[in-house]
Amino acid sequence: MSPDGPTAVVEEVRRAARRTAAPQSGFAPWEKPGEEPVVRFENVTKKFGTFTAVDDISLDIYEREFFALLGPSGCGKTTLLRMLAGFEQPTEGRIIVNGEDITKVPPHERHAVNMMFQSYALFPHMSVEKNIGFGLRQEGMPSAKIKERVDEAMALLELGQFAKRKPHQLSGGQQQRVALARAIAKKPRIMLLDEPLGALDKRLRQTAQFELMHIQEQTGTTFIIVTHDQEEAMTVSSRIAVMDHGELVQVSTPGEIYEAPQSRYVASFIGDVNILECRVSDVLSSGQIALTWSDGEGNFVAQAPPMNLAQGQQVWLALRPEKVRIGAGQPDSPVNAVKGKVENIGYLGSISHYHVELGNGQELTALRANSAQSVESAIDWEQDVWLDWPADAGVVLTR
Amino acid sequence: MDRRWTLIGIPYLWLLLFFLIPFLIVFKISLSDVALSIPPYTPVLDFSQLGEFFSGLDFENYTFIFSDELYVNAYVSSLKIAVISTLLTLLIGYPIAYAMARAPKEWQPALLMAIILPFWTSFLIRVYAWIGILKKEGLLNLFLSNFGIDPPTIHNTIWAVYIGIVYSYLPFMILPLYASLEKINNSLLEAAADLGSTPWKTFWQVTVPLSFPGILAGCFLVFIPAVGEFVIPDLLGGSDTLMIGKTLWAEFFSNRDWPVASAVAVVLLLVLVIPIVLFQRNQQAQREAGL
Repeated sequence: MSPDGPTAVVEEVRRAARRTAAPQSGFAPWEKPGEEPVVRFENVTKKFGTFTAVDDISLDIYEREFFALLGPSGCGKTTLLRMLAGFEQPTEGRIIVNGEDITKVPPHERHAVNMMFQSYALFPHMSVEKNIGFGLRQEGMPSAKIKERVDEAMALLELGQFAKRKPHQLSGGQQQRVALARAIAKKPRIMLLDEPLGALDKRLRQTAQFELMHIQEQTGTTFIIVTHDQEEAMTVSSRIAVMDHGELVQVSTPGEIYEAPQSRYVASFIGDVNILECRVSDVLSSGQIALTWSDGEGNFVAQAPPMNLAQGQQVWLALRPEKVRIGAGQPDSPVNAVKGKVENIGYLGSISHYHVELGNGQELTALRANSAQSVESAIDWEQDVWLDWPADAGVVLTR
Repeated sequence: MDRRWTLIGIPYLWLLLFFLIPFLIVFKISLSDVALSIPPYTPVLDFSQLGEFFSGLDFENYTFIFSDELYVNAYVSSLKIAVISTLLTLLIGYPIAYAMARAPKEWQPALLMAIILPFWTSFLIRVYAWIGILKKEGLLNLFLSNFGIDPPTIHNTIWAVYIGIVYSYLPFMILPLYASLEKINNSLLEAAADLGSTPWKTFWQVTVPLSFPGILAGCFLVFIPAVGEFVIPDLLGGSDTLMIGKTLWAEFFSNRDWPVASAVAVVLLLVLVIPIVLFQRNQQAQREAGL
């Protein structure tokens, strides 16, 4: 490990980014050729009048995945989920579950799928145990078996003591667990969760996220979650589908989404990012490219993206703040080093954000941990600083 | 604090003046004896002879109405007609209220308006209009004779009374039903479907229990006035249609036996009030038990 603070932070954050993907390490059915998906959307389009909510989406989701549909409100993620549950009919395309076309199957006959609603949709006139047993009663299961399954679900979510209560006598967190227990009790192959934690406060939400992951692992169910909270998606999911205006923008693991976004939209939707408008000045043989600012000034080196780039083409360099090193002295290597003045400092306790204005008016944000070393070499407002980053720190984007 | 008491006081003062005091007068008359005079009863309250006044009061009018089959039959028949009319109104009103609550949001004010619209015409005129439809040479029979169907006799039968009551009280059923159905969140119905319940089962397991307050309110609003209904059986029903409202009217104005008529009215009030009070207590207890 490098002795100076900022590099240590960079290393730390990188390791953290890799760790997000770590629990699923080795679990990547989407990479195996010939693997049968449990859910397949085939060119699915949904129009409400003239408005296209979902635009020609094709997507495969595999057994035991914790799959997140992420995007701002109105991007079509909930519509996609509702089509899988059967509440909306696709205008075009097919939905296949377990190899069976279920596009025209009504919701009450979709036994492989159960949904947890954003509003929880608990039946207000039924006690907790009646709510949880509702789905089982519809199957005509014998009452002893129902009780067993209800008790099992209540134990899993620690709801035993609330069995006789009505939903309005429960807190938001308890209601959320009842809603989850009710869907889980049916033992579906696929659980759909529509903003399941949206109504909880931040601290409760974090606990509930780990609870969701725990239950998903224990039951081996495929979870599909709709969320607008990027942290939530990063925490819980094996893969994330980022959506915008009814289209899939990128489908990747959380680590890939963060480290290798394919567009400025994805890069800025997940985490903080500096987007630098650049021009390709040279494609180097070493698998790197040379960039300049749009006005031709400066000289940067970055990892070449997989697509072909022409000289002079406009591109964007997406650079995570934690990968930009900030220091008072000029760095040893002149590569990717720029000079600027500290405009603003956001002190967050363990870390600080530095907003630096460069000579050409560009703004760049760097992040540094407030460790013992960095306190000694404190950086102040209005101070002249140097920023630098390794060639492989940024991602070159063409859209 | 003072303002609150004023606010509560006004309606209570109203009830005192126009309900409780008249009721006490009627109650007093019911304990008196009939006389051929104006007013046709004795005694008139005279405070100097208070002792004599109270000794003159007795319950013989009550024992009389319970010993005469006519009154008992009129009560039973009224309750029967009211129960059947209430059920018919519920049966017709529920689908209408349900359709209104499920209709597109922008249509709902217009649909609600359509339900309230008949109130813009006098109740009496609307009942008279039914005579025009149902009488022997009425619109209905004219219409049916076009198809060669034998014209049925509806006017002056119990059927006309049912038609009249159901028609007149339908809005009172639909409005509370609509209010409770409209509040049911669609996601509850979706959740039921998602958990494997067919639309029909969802209706009975979710929609009906959640609209129960509306069902109850609607039934009370129809049942209570229907029991004491006078105009509809008088105009549409025949001489064999026995209803307590008609009996009451005949007792007051044809028979001029005010004490017995008053006793009939007091018993009618008790018949209606006691079940309502018991029911409300039950509701209160259930609410407190955490329904």
